Amino acid sequence: MALGKLQEAGPPAPGVDTVPKLFWQRVTEWADRTAMREKKFGLWQDITWREYGRMARYTGLALVELGLRPGDRAAIISDDIPEWLYCDMGIQCVGGTTVGIYPTDSPQQVEYVMGHSGSKFYFAEDEEQLDKILEVRDRLPDLKKIIIYDMEGLRDFRDPMAMSYDELLELGKQADQRDPEAFEKLLNIPGPEDTAFLVYTSGTTGPPKGAMITHRNVLAGFHSQRQVLKGYLEDELLTFLPLCHIAERGVTALGMIMNGWVCNFAEEMDTVPQDIREVSPTVFFAVPRIWERFYSAMVLRMKDATWLEKKAFNLAMAVGNACSDYRLHLKEPPVHLRAAFKLADWCVLRNLKRFVGLDRVRMCLSGAAPISPDLLKFYHSLGIDMREVYGQTESTGAATMHYAGGTKFGTVGEALPGIEIRITDEGEILIKGPSVFKGYFRDPDKTAETVRDGWLYTGDVGLIDEDGHVVIKDRLKDIIITSGGKNITPSEIENQLKFSPYINDAVVIGDGRKYLTALIMIDEENVMKYAQDNRIPFTTYKSLTQAPEINKLIWREVEAVNKKFARVETIKKFRLIDIQLTTDDDEITPTMKLKRKYINEKFKDIIESMY
Amino acid sequence: MPQLEVKNIETYYGPIMAIKGISFEVEESSIVTILGANGAGKTSVLKTISGVMEPEKGTIEFMGKRIDHLDPDKIVRMGISHVPEGREVFHDLTVKENLAMGAFLRRDKDGMARDLETVHAYFPVLEARRGQLAGNMSGGEQQMLAIARALMARPKMLLLDEPSLGLSPVLVKEIYDIIKRINEEQKTTILLVEQNAWMALSTAQFGYILELGRIVMADPCDELMENEDVREFYLGIKEESVRGSKRWKRKKRWR
Repeated sequence: MALGKLQEAGPPAPGVDTVPKLFWQRVTEWADRTAMREKKFGLWQDITWREYGRMARYTGLALVELGLRPGDRAAIISDDIPEWLYCDMGIQCVGGTTVGIYPTDSPQQVEYVMGHSGSKFYFAEDEEQLDKILEVRDRLPDLKKIIIYDMEGLRDFRDPMAMSYDELLELGKQADQRDPEAFEKLLNIPGPEDTAFLVYTSGTTGPPKGAMITHRNVLAGFHSQRQVLKGYLEDELLTFLPLCHIAERGVTALGMIMNGWVCNFAEEMDTVPQDIREVSPTVFFAVPRIWERFYSAMVLRMKDATWLEKKAFNLAMAVGNACSDYRLHLKEPPVHLRAAFKLADWCVLRNLKRFVGLDRVRMCLSGAAPISPDLLKFYHSLGIDMREVYGQTESTGAATMHYAGGTKFGTVGEALPGIEIRITDEGEILIKGPSVFKGYFRDPDKTAETVRDGWLYTGDVGLIDEDGHVVIKDRLKDIIITSGGKNITPSEIENQLKFSPYINDAVVIGDGRKYLTALIMIDEENVMKYAQDNRIPFTTYKSLTQAPEINKLIWREVEAVNKKFARVETIKKFRLIDIQLTTDDDEITPTMKLKRKYINEKFKDIIESMY
Repeated sequence: MPQLEVKNIETYYGPIMAIKGISFEVEESSIVTILGANGAGKTSVLKTISGVMEPEKGTIEFMGKRIDHLDPDKIVRMGISHVPEGREVFHDLTVKENLAMGAFLRRDKDGMARDLETVHAYFPVLEARRGQLAGNMSGGEQQMLAIARALMARPKMLLLDEPSLGLSPVLVKEIYDIIKRINEEQKTTILLVEQNAWMALSTAQFGYILELGRIVMADPCDELMENEDVREFYLGIKEESVRGSKRWKRKKRWR
């Protein structure tokens, strides 16, 4: 998988104004190229664009046979696997709308999304996802068919409503043989203003809302992003964040048809560290939590290093830092510095990057949550071009981004071409442009509240600095007003806390209170390692969070952060969350962020104990 | 003070970390169990205590004295006897000779004779077969012999590695009844490693659950038996799904 000559993907052909048309253009153009890879029995297997096209074609045709009409919704509930993409494209190609459901959702959440979207079809990854729909299908009058990808354990399962994905493909194949022109005709049905897919956003208030993303939204994003980030046909991705989230959908599913990026599916969330080393992606998108993890892994690796190695690392980072300072001011570093960096990279940094699997990476993107500027700086010193992206589901992902060579720490970059940004008097960020979504499905009131005169009200507070870079402060509703009347943006403090290798996530509390406190989720691996190194006995996770030495350790980290803030913004007390939260829990998002509202409720007593 | 205190031990098999830093304690005269699936690191824990494996990090204290990095024979002398997994008896020796091997380190003839009587009282079958070669006995008898041999060293603490392995349910019950009696009558502390969660939890007073080299739960056994995760993953009690059969397992949470 060595990078040879780099080739850019061509633009959409004239008249290509929807996702299906662009997809089909790519299937034709790139037929024998690798579209994606999946690891099976320990080996990475290539799947070509021809195969991708064929699977989508059969899926789409079969759905039409089974009664899918233009505008109908079909839902997918699965981890990231090739079938997810086959079905997504299959559904859209015949005029349907894809609805992604998080595989971690409970049967009740599945029922809500299925019911609200009125989906006729339910693509289930396996037995587990099948059981969810069986539990609630009596209350879903629109549901027509359940299609299962993996039939393991279901040999004796018979149900008139259910079928295997293989059976569906066979149906599609027969339909294709009967009328080979049907598919191309169907491709032209959806128009640019039709909804390509619905993205249900976890509402912090009320039930989730289904954002309607049109074909025009998607293609608009294509034109604007391409002007600021170069994509090559040879680029490799590692796909592991949920595809139903706008960020991974944009980078993978759309990055593939736009830039020809090759998607490599991680086996599982737990195997990401191994997968990334095997794939060694050239373009890598991740949420800050993942960047924090890599950072911790590298820093802790250096703690175990010898005296000489440590010295070499510090020296190399200093050189990297000096180099990136030049680049960030759009200047080429002087020759001696470039030579020094080459040496530093060759001797030290390269090995460290290889250790986490980022040795080939050409461009890194961080988004979906705010990232600490110190973390960005760290990666730049390593010689990694890391950019922050800001956007929302409602803006079809990216609205601002650090342009090539224009990274400015502490900002989320500049508005993408074609996007306008405005700040209201209250400080709220507004976005206007062709990628702003059509509205919330079956919710005109919420739509009218969110989009006014074409401006998307983001609910984020921020400003535009003197260089035209956007700075995000916080969510409007998360701003803390202490009983002393001070306005505090908790996420700034939280991001600093998360920068500690021992802290995974934190929620700062203090609205209407005299002082600030925090609930902290420790980084299990690193804190356990600390306990081991310092002979602090513990049995379970809970006992680890209760160990006085660990509380002292975290207190030292909190105090270090406190020094960076004004007195009113310092954290006076904290508690460690003593249970391990998993993505099955309500308190955490599928991208592993703590949800403030749920945390505040669930840990009410603990919070009260700090006041 | 607990009789055995294990703190932060890490043990490796070559480059592979079998125990990723665990701490636990065992009170004198109690029965404590460590549960876990294959490869969780249970056997490594026992081997580390009995000195067969050396911990890379951490300490082990027995009755207030450090025993990590001591040779196995010294540890036996201090009162810890290890009954390894898989009934490792000396096949070519008779039952009597096997039992004598258990008392190899002892010199007190009278005491040894008394202990042989006690052992025979617990395991009458061993007296009946005393002249037979150990290799010719049934699995259950060999397991009994292995335990009996360990008792001949007059241990203060007995480390039992899966005594139920490969035995019929009736034999398992019989052996467990004897284990309980030994604990009650001799006041021998017992650290029991098991996959047979039901047997272990109903015998021991306190239990630890070990997963991939780490302790994920530590509670009295009656509480462990009520825990949702222990019930589903160790005792095999599942909620029924709508289809009547359910093969997939939900995520473990351990709380």
